[in-house]
Amino acid sequence: MLRHVLQRLLTTVPVMLGVLLIGFLLMQVVPTDPAIVRAGPTATADVIAAIRTELGLDQPLYVQFGIYLWRLLQGDLGVSIINNVPVTQELGATIGPTLELMFASLFWAIPLGIGLGTVAAYFRGSVLDRAITALSVAGGSVPVFFLGLMLIWLVGFQWQLLPFTGRGGPLWTADGWKAIALPALTLGGVFVAPVARMTRTAVLEVLGAEHVRTARAKGLAERSVVLHHALRNALIPVITLIGLQIGFLLGGAVVTETVFSWPGVGRLAVGAILSADFPMAQGTIIVLSLGFIMVNLVVDVLYVALDPRMRGA
Amino acid sequence: MSGANPVAAAAASSATAVPPRRPGVLKRLLREPIAALALAVVVLLVLAAVLAPVLAPTDPFDNDLASAMAVPGTPGLLLGADGQGRDMITRLLYGLRATLLIGAASVLLGGIVGGAAGFIAAYYKRVDGLLMRLMDVLLSFPAILFGLAIAAIFGPGIPAVILALSIATVPLMARIVRSAALVVMRQDYIEAARATGMGDGRLIFRHVAPNCLSPMFVFATLRFGQVILLGSALSFLGLGAQPPVAELGSMAAEGRGFLFFAPHVAVLPCVVIFIVVLAFNLLGDALRDALDPRLRV
Repeated sequence: MLRHVLQRLLTTVPVMLGVLLIGFLLMQVVPTDPAIVRAGPTATADVIAAIRTELGLDQPLYVQFGIYLWRLLQGDLGVSIINNVPVTQELGATIGPTLELMFASLFWAIPLGIGLGTVAAYFRGSVLDRAITALSVAGGSVPVFFLGLMLIWLVGFQWQLLPFTGRGGPLWTADGWKAIALPALTLGGVFVAPVARMTRTAVLEVLGAEHVRTARAKGLAERSVVLHHALRNALIPVITLIGLQIGFLLGGAVVTETVFSWPGVGRLAVGAILSADFPMAQGTIIVLSLGFIMVNLVVDVLYVALDPRMRGA
Repeated sequence: MSGANPVAAAAASSATAVPPRRPGVLKRLLREPIAALALAVVVLLVLAAVLAPVLAPTDPFDNDLASAMAVPGTPGLLLGADGQGRDMITRLLYGLRATLLIGAASVLLGGIVGGAAGFIAAYYKRVDGLLMRLMDVLLSFPAILFGLAIAAIFGPGIPAVILALSIATVPLMARIVRSAALVVMRQDYIEAARATGMGDGRLIFRHVAPNCLSPMFVFATLRFGQVILLGSALSFLGLGAQPPVAELGSMAAEGRGFLFFAPHVAVLPCVVIFIVVLAFNLLGDALRDALDPRLRV
């Protein structure tokens, strides 16, 4: 187990370095000179040259990459060229809301998806199964922004039930949960379909397994067979597959944040790219990528931890 | 993953006999009403996109501010007009054209590079490990991150979206092709072809690749739907097609500003995207069932 974790950690290192290298090169191809930007429009050539030396921009590229890594280790991702705010400060303020939105979405979407998938598998071939399957195929074809715009128009505008712009404060306050309701419904809404489909497949597979037949043969109640013998075993692949769908969730979060003006990392990244704020764009992309690598690592380790058959494999 | 293998094996075992023909894929596909409907919708959508310049009642950039935000059903504007008074039918047709083009270019480009990587990995054992590890790395990043990074480097635009979605497609196609090719390469007829002194390139193109086509085709169809969703989302964010170019995702983003006065401006492009993606998803599922029933769940 420990060996597996260490092995996975080791294979992650070159990938992380690759991400950082791409992030570093991103700053090399952009058409702005960070020294000129930092010096300001009235600076003399001497001042710019001094800043160039200070930032290490007169060094060869590989030395610059080293300096860049060193600054990164100290938590220095540069300064926004639009509003001069440190990139790490903006990131620190936006990561929380993004995670909040993701958890709020998964909080209802995963149980619903697993429930629907289990029901569909148990009543395989019935009208109910077909309805759920049809719904999940249709649900998997809806653009996130479509769902978001429809909820804004119907619930927010026509019915005036819930707010639809920005975050309303901590989740335990009324303003807080009201503000997150529509974004979480949107992001979770596109997640139900894949979870339901994966659960259905996994439960179907387990329902045909021998230990389920044994459980039935010894006269266990049907409820117990499904919940304790089938679903419990089916959950292992489902959890892994959900983990692997986090990328899909991230994509949805970026769009959802934009639609609802939710103050998250995704909206920050898109805004930075659109306004050509290169340090900010670089910082958000690096943090999102590294976060993503970590999530993959955790999912992988969890998978082995959850499934004893994988140990020693 | 080896839809054509039994046929290929049968054909190889009796070189003189005429290879047994399976009932046509199209015929089997049309037997399923949903599949037939999905195929019809796909054909109609592609025709509408190709013939957009002929079908569209106006020029896509013709605006008439007097009819801005005209509701569907206004005389002369069957589906209304957008915020700048441009005919929605025209915009939707051209938008569909751009969206389908982005999707097709991404699947084609990513499919060709990924397919080549898959064949090379399956054929040349020495590079297999390295190549597939590289694919694993690519696979570990979500498409949205490629979209953000490439838009940051090259600037937002349709080429950036196509590049991002192609890169995200490469590792998926590589995996599918590699596993299909590995099965094909175990067949006797490959050994026989090799024994005749056939070169690597010819062997791959003449004997391995043709027998891997069905999983590739199924994947491409299913991937097309996903790529349309991702591409229109990137355009919606402003990272893809730029106004005034008509593209369904960026049209939805433009319509967002008029959501409360003229919801049809945002809703209609979204509905078209939904229909496109749904049709390709259903067609892909049906193709998979028709080409390789063993994959059915």
